[in-house]
Amino acid sequence: MSARYLGQRLLQAIVTIAAIVLLNFLLFRLMPGSPERILLRNPNLSQQVVEATRARWGLDKPLIPDQLVSYIGSTLEGDLGYSFKFRGQPVTSVIADRVGPTLLLVGLGELISVFVGIAIGAYAGWRRGGVVDRVGSGVSLVLYSMPYFVIGMPLIVIFAAGLGWFPTSGMTSVGGGDRPFPDNIIDLARHLALPLATVSLGLIGQYSILMRSAIIETRSEDYITTARAKGLRDGRVLRAHAFPNAMLPMVTLIAINLGYVIGGAITAEIVFSWPGLGTLTVTALQSRDYPVLQGIFLLVAVSVVLANLAADIIYGLLDPRVRR
Amino acid sequence: MSAARASGAPVSGAPVSGAGKAGRWRLRAAQLRAFAARYAGRADGMLGLVVLVFFGILALAPELFVGPLETATRASAHAFDAPSAQHLLGADDLGRDILNRTVHGARISMTIGLMATVITLVFGVVLGLVAGYSGGLVDNLLMRIADFFLVLPTFVLALILAPVLIEVVGADAEVMGIRATLLVIIVVIGITSWAATARIIRSQTLSLKERMFVDRARVVGVGPGRIILRHILPNVMNLIVANAVLTFASAVLTETTLSFIGLGDPFQPSWGQILNGAQDSGAAGLGAWWVIAPPAVSVVLVILAFTLMGNALDDLLNPKSRVRR
Amino acid sequence: MTAEIRGRRQWPLPKQADPAAPLLRVNNLQTHFQLGRGWVKAVDGVSFGLDDGEALGLVGESGCGKTTTALSLVRLLPSNGRIRGGSVELFGIDLVPKTDRQLDRYRWREISIVFQGAMNALNPVVQVRRQIAEPVQYRLNQSESASLKRADELLDMVGIPSRRLGAYPHELSGGMRQRAMIAMALACDPAIVIGDEPTTALDAMVQAQILVLLEQLRRDLGLSLILITHDLSVVAETCDRVLVMYAGRVAEEGPVSRVFTEPRHPYTRKLLGAFPNIRSDRRTLETIPGEPPDLVNPPAGCRFAPRCAQAMPVCAGTLPPEVSFDDGVRVACHLFGTTA
Repeated sequence: MSARYLGQRLLQAIVTIAAIVLLNFLLFRLMPGSPERILLRNPNLSQQVVEATRARWGLDKPLIPDQLVSYIGSTLEGDLGYSFKFRGQPVTSVIADRVGPTLLLVGLGELISVFVGIAIGAYAGWRRGGVVDRVGSGVSLVLYSMPYFVIGMPLIVIFAAGLGWFPTSGMTSVGGGDRPFPDNIIDLARHLALPLATVSLGLIGQYSILMRSAIIETRSEDYITTARAKGLRDGRVLRAHAFPNAMLPMVTLIAINLGYVIGGAITAEIVFSWPGLGTLTVTALQSRDYPVLQGIFLLVAVSVVLANLAADIIYGLLDPRVRR
Repeated sequence: MSAARASGAPVSGAPVSGAGKAGRWRLRAAQLRAFAARYAGRADGMLGLVVLVFFGILALAPELFVGPLETATRASAHAFDAPSAQHLLGADDLGRDILNRTVHGARISMTIGLMATVITLVFGVVLGLVAGYSGGLVDNLLMRIADFFLVLPTFVLALILAPVLIEVVGADAEVMGIRATLLVIIVVIGITSWAATARIIRSQTLSLKERMFVDRARVVGVGPGRIILRHILPNVMNLIVANAVLTFASAVLTETTLSFIGLGDPFQPSWGQILNGAQDSGAAGLGAWWVIAPPAVSVVLVILAFTLMGNALDDLLNPKSRVRR
Repeated sequence: MTAEIRGRRQWPLPKQADPAAPLLRVNNLQTHFQLGRGWVKAVDGVSFGLDDGEALGLVGESGCGKTTTALSLVRLLPSNGRIRGGSVELFGIDLVPKTDRQLDRYRWREISIVFQGAMNALNPVVQVRRQIAEPVQYRLNQSESASLKRADELLDMVGIPSRRLGAYPHELSGGMRQRAMIAMALACDPAIVIGDEPTTALDAMVQAQILVLLEQLRRDLGLSLILITHDLSVVAETCDRVLVMYAGRVAEEGPVSRVFTEPRHPYTRKLLGAFPNIRSDRRTLETIPGEPPDLVNPPAGCRFAPRCAQAMPVCAGTLPPEVSFDDGVRVACHLFGTTA
């Protein structure tokens, strides 16, 4: 991977992030009366804070360049404004409180589904038309057609309401987090089980479908014929030749999906009242808490751009042909 | 309705150009028949079509099956009544008949899906054609914008755009008889998903532009607008059709999700709206499966049907069918 | 001759091998592909032999079944391909009834292949030397370091400079890739190397270099070569015998010197006439009117009959028998039905 390639990708990422910041700025300022109106509508701010904010944002100055410059300045400093809903807390701290649970849920879900989905997809594609392919692809396609909440709600009906194996919602029982080890971990695990199953099942469908078609595409390449001509065992042809090539598009997809991890599996979190960024998004949405929404959008967008950058870099490392 | 649209649009394998008007239509009709025969041979595609026709009929005439919309929005039973002879699929937390609501939900869900698809396609196709045909600076600019939209977390953007737009137009406004909340969902889906279509159409336009029959038209002095309409558009039709079906699937999915989150119109029962009610009333935790299963199964069946059809069309229409998404 | 060359083998013959049997004997091979509307009879009754150290050219128009014939030897067929009849005897061992697992013993160690267009035939994400070492390591059970050492020796042998050892396929030129492909084919010291249009994608200068290399290696290592090509001049320069195929069947087969100077089958004559020969004369190129037949429902008689200027009534209804001549040429044509 050349410095030029790296530089290009880096530049692209920076430009995209700049565009996102600009979009974020314009979106909320072009609304009727914003942000002046929003600022004044927030009942939780004292007059001093309003004055201070107004002075810092320079709301009496023109939109461009003065307001934009000060907006970019405060964004760079990590100041995203104050929440309406959460008693005037800074947006950054409101968001920071919710990052942990989301990372736990969606991060684990990604990890499980990457391994399981890729294994199922690779095997199904390699033995196209076999039992694993027929059953696996059918199930994957159905899972792929199901939004998280459509997977999650039946799981609650069966395993929480019906069988009573798991709690229906939340991340801890009342006082559960304060119990001594290992009880607090067990409590967390019981709460995590169903949301994790929901996220994993949804992603497994996606990963296995894409891995299957990537393997099928790779299988007809000439170098696979070469590998077969070498008299290598079937498993070796798959592992050493088909798999690394089929993984190239997958790596990109996985890295980009990891960018969305931070945004959470919004509807999965809602169904299980999981206290992550997803539920925060909806709470903010319902109370029209624009500063928080704006902050979440910025966070997710930036992490997606960074994930894209990571995908490009990993791709460059894995594929020797990338040199541009 | 959507079924007829999806398979009824002109479909052409070979470049359609030159011949007289009557000849061209004869050729198209023949190609269409040949294509229909090949499509009929795809078990998955036909299964999708059958499912879609079923829901299409429900969406066109829900009154025929369960009575007018008012009966779906009014209580006719006790809260969370289990399925019975009077209420085949039981009732929700407000005592409203679930079967009734689900059948009416088909209309809202499919209408929004259809309109969002139309918007996405119009934007995507027009911008893709323009970018591909004009090339140079215009192409560069449009594609940078498309790339930006492809990278953006569109769903989160949709979540933010929806309330902003509602704030702009006002929640109770009506545009062309469609309530603003629904319209916003349609527009938001369109804004956030045109880029992929534009990319596909652009790359096909680029390769068509270099082809002989376009050159011939250009030499003869045909203007760019006419070349795009008469020579390029007919030849990207197959791509548009395959793309439309897959776009429809994701539009229905997005609509359901946005409604589930609470951005839908409470007065119009879409499937996402019913599930939103189920979530808010804690139906799942109460074990009231009958509130959840009908809309959930409907959503999955429709999306699955579109996906199956889209894959079948993609295989049949795309010379070199690529990995999907 | 036979024993002497077999004596050079570094690896023992397969256990069931018959030391007295000819190297390769293909009898009435039928390889068909299943399509929606039936079986495509891509190879339909092809027989030929190959001796130790011999070079056989397989020629014919594209689609005539020459590549399918060669790939059928080690059954490297797409999933819809089947060998539906005939035998492939290597050292007297019939490979057709073997399972894929059993056949792996013969692939590359006995019969290796230099594929056309080495860009696609080499794995883009694996270093070339590792791809060459792979069969040594996994088929001959050598250690990884010994295999890589062998790979480097082979690369040196085919003239790839040692500073290119760590290269990936895309970092090599077309000619270099083809050399690497040849090195790979030689990795297990096979008895037979199949060259599937090994020089088609290369420019004329590089083509010549690759052919010289192949020829030199063949003589040095005592290889037997099956060269698939549509370039008759390549056959004339490198092969001992030539087999002309048309629509899945043998039209004519024999020593290159005889077939090229005195072609007997009308198709061979047309083929030679269609080929530009800058050295001999400057008559205008001949073309063959018409197209090869549909191989799902081939003509009942001679498959060339519909395009043949000398077709007789018998040609349309009866398959021409193969007739052998004293000079080692074998022809399937009704014109010679009575001379046998």
